[in-house]
Amino acid sequence: MFNTSPLTRRQVLAQTGCGFGMLALAELLAAQEPERSSQPSAVRSPHHAPRAKRIIFLYMPGGPSHVDLLDEKPRLEIENGKPLPFDKPKLERTKTGNLLASPWKFAKHGESGVAVSELLPGLASQIDDVCVIRSMVADNINHTGAALQMCTGEQAFSRPSLGSWLTYGLGTENQNLPGFVVVSPAAVFQGAQLWASSFLPSAYQGTLVRDLNHPIANLGSASNQQQRDKLDSLRRLNEIHKQTRAADNQLDARIASFELAFRMQSEAPEAFDISRESEATHKLYGTDKPESELFGKQCLLARRLVERGVRFVQLFDAPANNVWDHHSGLRENLPKRCRAVDQPITALLIDLKSRGLLEDTLVWWGGEFGRTPTAEGTDGREHHPFGFSMWLAGGGIRGGMTYGATDDFGWHSVQDIVHVHDLHATILHQMGFDHERLTYRFGGRDYRLTDVHGRVVTEILT
Amino acid sequence: MSKLPQSFVLILFLLTAPGGLRAEDAATAGAEFFEKQIRPLLVAHCQSCHGEKKQEGGLRLTSREWVLRGGESGPAIAPGKPEESLLIKAIDYLDDLKMPPKQKLAEVEITLLKRWVATGAPWPESLPPNNVSDGTGQGGWEVTPQQRSWWAFQPMKAAKSPTVKDERWARNEIDRFVLAEMEARGHAPAAAADRRVWLRRVTFDLTGLPPTPDELDAFVGDQSDQAFERVVTRLLESPAYGQRWARHWLDVARYADYHGANPQTRVASCDPLEAWHYRDWVVDSLNRDLPFDQFVVHQIAGDLLPSPNGEAVYPDGMIATAFLANGVWDRGDADKEKLLSDMVDDQIDTVGKAFLGLTLGCARCHDHKFDPISNEDYYALAGIFYSSRFMDNLGTKGGEITLKRVPLVPRAEAALRHGYEVLIQSINTKLAALEKIAPPVAADHPERLALIKERDALQAELPPPYPIAITVQDGGMPGSLFPGIQDVPIHIRGSYTRLGKVVPRRMPVFFAGDSQSPIPHGSGRRELAAWIASKSNPLTARVIVNRVWQGHFGAGLVRTPNNFGLLSEPPTHPELLDWLAARFVEEGWSLKKLHEWIVLSATYRQGRGELNTQQNDPENRWLSRFAARRLEAEAIRDAMLAVTGKLDLSTGGPASDDLAITRRSLYVQTARWDRSNFAMLFDAANPDASVETRTVSTVAPQSLFLLNHKFALEQAKQLAERLIRVVPNDTPDMELARIQRAYRLLFNRLATDEEIAIARDLVARSSWDDLAHVLLCSNEFVYID
Repeated sequence: MFNTSPLTRRQVLAQTGCGFGMLALAELLAAQEPERSSQPSAVRSPHHAPRAKRIIFLYMPGGPSHVDLLDEKPRLEIENGKPLPFDKPKLERTKTGNLLASPWKFAKHGESGVAVSELLPGLASQIDDVCVIRSMVADNINHTGAALQMCTGEQAFSRPSLGSWLTYGLGTENQNLPGFVVVSPAAVFQGAQLWASSFLPSAYQGTLVRDLNHPIANLGSASNQQQRDKLDSLRRLNEIHKQTRAADNQLDARIASFELAFRMQSEAPEAFDISRESEATHKLYGTDKPESELFGKQCLLARRLVERGVRFVQLFDAPANNVWDHHSGLRENLPKRCRAVDQPITALLIDLKSRGLLEDTLVWWGGEFGRTPTAEGTDGREHHPFGFSMWLAGGGIRGGMTYGATDDFGWHSVQDIVHVHDLHATILHQMGFDHERLTYRFGGRDYRLTDVHGRVVTEILT
Repeated sequence: MSKLPQSFVLILFLLTAPGGLRAEDAATAGAEFFEKQIRPLLVAHCQSCHGEKKQEGGLRLTSREWVLRGGESGPAIAPGKPEESLLIKAIDYLDDLKMPPKQKLAEVEITLLKRWVATGAPWPESLPPNNVSDGTGQGGWEVTPQQRSWWAFQPMKAAKSPTVKDERWARNEIDRFVLAEMEARGHAPAAAADRRVWLRRVTFDLTGLPPTPDELDAFVGDQSDQAFERVVTRLLESPAYGQRWARHWLDVARYADYHGANPQTRVASCDPLEAWHYRDWVVDSLNRDLPFDQFVVHQIAGDLLPSPNGEAVYPDGMIATAFLANGVWDRGDADKEKLLSDMVDDQIDTVGKAFLGLTLGCARCHDHKFDPISNEDYYALAGIFYSSRFMDNLGTKGGEITLKRVPLVPRAEAALRHGYEVLIQSINTKLAALEKIAPPVAADHPERLALIKERDALQAELPPPYPIAITVQDGGMPGSLFPGIQDVPIHIRGSYTRLGKVVPRRMPVFFAGDSQSPIPHGSGRRELAAWIASKSNPLTARVIVNRVWQGHFGAGLVRTPNNFGLLSEPPTHPELLDWLAARFVEEGWSLKKLHEWIVLSATYRQGRGELNTQQNDPENRWLSRFAARRLEAEAIRDAMLAVTGKLDLSTGGPASDDLAITRRSLYVQTARWDRSNFAMLFDAANPDASVETRTVSTVAPQSLFLLNHKFALEQAKQLAERLIRVVPNDTPDMELARIQRAYRLLFNRLATDEEIAIARDLVARSSWDDLAHVLLCSNEFVYID
């Protein structure tokens, strides 16, 4: 889209096919100006060749338990019921009790032999494509702050989300669709802050889809001759208005935006319509089973969207708020969550791979933190940002490996620690950005996703 | 650059602005590991005995050099060889030397230190450009010469306006400053705008609404010398002025009507349900031209002001402190102590940016890296806010917070109603208890009847509800680390879990001097307000004058209105800024006078200029023309309602969640957690933090809204009905008359033949509704020349 051949403004307008324009149109047009090529435009194209072109972030709000899913701890089994042999951090919220062994068995899977809990048989079958990071560290022990940090890099203040940074940096491949789509059936606790553009132009905020049947607001009928007539008149009047004004990208952009809006009415519904998928595909994603229907649909939608060039899709597993927050009822509810997401996620990995999309699509799984290896009550675990697991697959990430480790109890990350900032730096790196150079000036200083932190975890890259 | 229009250059500028933090960004991973993981450990566990002040055993763990030199037992570490390092042996508790002596470090901390030594013990040099302290308040903080001489920190200079070559152009002092800069650069002012263009511009600027055809006729017909002045006076006296300019201030004040968008699911204790009183107070203050210094004082310490009329309660004072109380904290962090520290931080940050153009919040974890604000200064200010009360108490873990609310009536009056409520409640409880008795008590049992009678009597006498406001009071936060009026310790690296030395409450030393008298009583907000609103504060007047300038020209003289510090952009016209600021203070901090000077200047009266002026000065820094701009979200909606004739200009009251109301957009709710509303779609300010300038984006979803949303369709229908009503079918050349009526309403001009032909064509093929719709969607409707 940002090719260097000099297009005239007229050509751009004629090709309204290039256009949904979640990307600010003034910039789009500016990008097409011949003059642009003589200007430094560092952030519209990435800093280096990207390994991933798009991201699907599978977000499990509430914080999934690492010691029950991805981080096997034999010592926990041995010392079940005994106290943690060292001091818990001062920041602990409620007092948790003694160590609680995982009620579920782990087994090694794939050629790589990475251990995965019996709760995730589907993921286990794909483990050779997955890199499990077992040494994640976050800074906040509460949902709000931790989720904000995971999505925006900052725990307390309003900052642009990762998806906003990426759409700001890259624009979108398919101008008929938003570049950053968030699918969250229920309202999540922190709400729009998690996909906000903050001080970046609002065009870069995530487009929230709550109801899969009505994904985008204000779509009119696509085959609307009356509207077409109106748009033609509007175009003619706007051209007259423009004649007496010096070249103004904003006026051009606004003229184009109406054409793009019109086109989008025919393109967007198709992209969001998962009923066009075959029954076999639906079955693969588990949309035929009540427990996995919702997340199955979300995953299927994610695949349709990335296939059509959406840059960043963030799925919240949110039939209700914070469903992974297992302070109690762990033994009943964690398996339930796993049944809801495991098949859809497995299907997504298989489907992406079979379409050749996995190699440049980064799939990222996890929540805002993990859970304590110690028990809260008798059947729960508390919030735990000191050491937890996330996984990545595709997009130039080395599969079939684990990276980093927590201590023997799954409490602290102790080896090859990956802070949230490090993960963000790594993700930006895969998308072609030097996280220190993707900046935006606001209120007199340059901001970036990783603030003054971040290390690219090169060890997990292919 | 030759053919680039202004917007493009602005964007380019944003994309390529030089990095302010590059030096720091270049830090290696090792250095960052040290800063993040190791330095805090050394500060927390080692430096109290092995630091700048004390060197037990001759050991000092404050720089790599000192660590290598070691103490009486030899070098503390051998880089790369943890097993040979004394420090590691000591923390492992393996030999006689066990450190820290009282308690072994946590396993993870030991692991981290081992890793640090194993990787060669990286320890970055002190950070530029300040001698930044380590967050303990013990570092060597110094003001640099560059900070000392920074323009914004100097007293205002009341310079005389310069001489210019073209004496005839200038209408007032502003113009002489502007013209002198233009002449120095070989620019010339653009020809004055058409009267109609000026009227449309100034009417939108001051009221957020389009002029009516009658107003246009009156102005164009008024050939007297005072025609322009008369318009400006009329606009400034209109209640719409306060509604318009309140919105600018609300952006800066990170104002929201509510947290939650859905009225049914709002949590009453923590949602700022009474915030609208503050919004109304801002509107009212602007309309009666409350001197700006008073405007400042009210918002920081209004609760401490005596009532000007001698009444027991001063509602405006209570209400105005919602500036501090209405921040981005919903039900907040489950960790309430951390929440409190974030709330205080938000207040410091917002006060700093809004009134002083200083990013005070940057000194929370360390000395400010660019401006002369130390970590101690921050906690000196933090003490003032910690000594204030903006929640009833700290609340419980995971529970809701309860914003501090006060009745806006005398206490006795509030207590009386409360007494009635308690009595009524107790009777209801007894009645409920009767229901549960078996066998059931008869409906006409005398006891039951007596209770009902008594309750109804009380109900009849119940005094009417009284207004309440969310507010800030003195007194600290019960249940927190800081439950009363008190000085607070430095929070090392910003965390309340690691407290350093206590700092007395005071103003920042560089700005207010190091011999400040102690705060005699109360939180110190009174003193803070007085210091900010003082004539001698070099920042306050400059900052607000710059905001007003931005409101009229689209960009300020300083283009970073929330930041006048060393990372800001220096003013394009420093003498003009100072002249305006000094004059503003002299004339009693009157915003209305400031508006008058600006909009009556020749600078403001310029047209959009010839193409070549746009090329010479693409960003219009030298003000040699008037730069067109798009209306803000609120003005777009209000203008639509205005031209249909349906706009309801009433003021005040709670905000509505219904976009379809016909009141001004100021009264359509801003909900913090809702980003998918009309206003956000058209770039309204994000209410999470103080917003200095709105961005302008042009995206297809905006067009989808205008094409398909029922609000837009309804306005098109209303406009068409209005045209048909005022120009009935039997009017001679009805079509032309209606089209011209529409053009006068929407664009304050008559349509050209070409436009008339297009309009006639559309009406012939379709309907007046559709023509109305097209005109409301047009660029001319939303762009102001």
